[in-house]
Amino acid sequence: MAALVQIENLRKEFGNVRALDGVSFDVLAGEWIAIMGPSGSGKTTLINILGGLDTPTSGRAMVDGADVARLDESGLARFRSEKIGFIFQQFHLVPYLTALENVMLAQYFHSTTDETEAREALGRVGLTDREEHLPGQLSGGEQQRVAVARALINHPKLILADEPTGNLDEANEGIVLKLLRELHSEGHTILMVTHAASIGQLADRRIELAHGRLALANTRA
Amino acid sequence: MALVAVISGAAVISALLNLEFDVERKLTQEFRLLGANLVISPGSSTQPGGTASQSPATLSSPTLMSAAAVLPQVERLRTRDVVASAPYLYIVARAHDTPVVVAGTWLDETRPLEPTWKFQGNAIVSRDDATQCFVGRDVARQFGLAPGGQVELHYLGRSAQLRVAGIVDAGGPEDSQVFVNLPVAQTLAGLEGQIQVMQLSVSGTAAGISGYADELANSLSGYDVRPIRQVSEAEGNLLNRTRLLILSMILLILVLTALCVLATMAALAMERRADVGLMKALGGTISRIVGLFLAEVGALGAAGGLIGCIAGETLAQWMGHRVFGTSISPRWEVFPLTIALMIAVAMAGALPLRRLGKVKPAVILRGE
Repeated sequence: MAALVQIENLRKEFGNVRALDGVSFDVLAGEWIAIMGPSGSGKTTLINILGGLDTPTSGRAMVDGADVARLDESGLARFRSEKIGFIFQQFHLVPYLTALENVMLAQYFHSTTDETEAREALGRVGLTDREEHLPGQLSGGEQQRVAVARALINHPKLILADEPTGNLDEANEGIVLKLLRELHSEGHTILMVTHAASIGQLADRRIELAHGRLALANTRA
Repeated sequence: MALVAVISGAAVISALLNLEFDVERKLTQEFRLLGANLVISPGSSTQPGGTASQSPATLSSPTLMSAAAVLPQVERLRTRDVVASAPYLYIVARAHDTPVVVAGTWLDETRPLEPTWKFQGNAIVSRDDATQCFVGRDVARQFGLAPGGQVELHYLGRSAQLRVAGIVDAGGPEDSQVFVNLPVAQTLAGLEGQIQVMQLSVSGTAAGISGYADELANSLSGYDVRPIRQVSEAEGNLLNRTRLLILSMILLILVLTALCVLATMAALAMERRADVGLMKALGGTISRIVGLFLAEVGALGAAGGLIGCIAGETLAQWMGHRVFGTSISPRWEVFPLTIALMIAVAMAGALPLRRLGKVKPAVILRGE
């Protein structure tokens, strides 16, 4: 199977701080990868570069054939809207838009809005009766499910989840992980940052970072 | 805050625009209170100053016009803008052995022609009434006349006995005159069918009045037809100054509204940085993101403009009553104009949104 993500000797420096220091690995299409490591090990930086939110200092990050570092501003916007689905630890929903509008916002930036499809996406994460609620009226778990619906709505090649259950209680963590398992079984490629070993074990492979370097990369089964 | 600024701005601008559109008509109405503004006379050389209150003591043929030549033409060209008109023949007759200026005119037209005059007594409703007259306030005081009293006028051996229907208080030289119907003056003077001047009170713009004067002049060749210059010039000057004042105020309010929106939008741009960072992360181009904010600002301008217009109509009515003593006619074109201005001003005030282009999504999402 072809690699969807290819990372070669990736470096990222913030002033004197080296967040990533020569990281290389690849991810096959349909794989679920858990990126683990202590705080400050470069996990989020890696996810940000793969998602086109940040640029590497050197090295190469290829996603579905696109060299992220070489994309210009509009190319990056198109890349993010078409190929990437983000799930953040802090949910990051627009507070003055309803759950439905938050999902449709991603559609708007991708192409055109489709309310029926957005409702279906919210239905899939079990929020049919919460479509018209504002984020402030939803629990943390519900907000994260809205974020999952938003990440899926444009059928991205790659789902980048940065500590998707970090702010959730056990019950909501279970719901979100169940959703991720479903997405994986449907063939979605997922890169998930997590601290929790128990969650990391759900993934096909674990990649561990330490001080910006690759500390462990499980081989494929 | 921005909405309040736009509503307030729109209300005042809408009121001022209503006033601006109506000011010409209102000023024209105000100036019509000054009386006649168009005079037809035999010739410019014989009319000193062209003012209506001149009363020649002696008459000679160059100062006279044939009523049969003038009146039918005036009647033929009469439009709805002609508020009132009347011919005049002045003679200096004697009453109680004292010279007194007698003005022969159409007494049924005196009130509409001279709306500022105060009348005490009864109206004279027929221009053919040869038995009644009005006397000026000074004449009444001099001869001890009151409504219902009698006055006898003598001129070149002819006389007329008239009942005083009312006393005129014009606040000018007319207070020293006796006003009789035209046939009475013509008979006294032995000038049947003759008049000296024709005065008209015409409403409309200065240009409209001038155009009407030209039309009359074309039909009355050999006669002088001219607007009373002082009134027309004063009207034009006041109109221009009022318009300049109104337009300056509109401009000032537009600038102030834009500045207020600008300040609010600058704060909003800072407040929405996190949302913009997220939108960029979701694949939003800066043009689409700013487009969303501009749509919001445009809606704010349109809503504020609409609400402000409605408030402005009320304000315009109040201003009309305060300034002109009458209501201002609502002009529906003010609505789209004000709303368009408010949208434009809101958009101009949204310039700080350009800063959003510099937002780095990774930095924002890190919570910095």
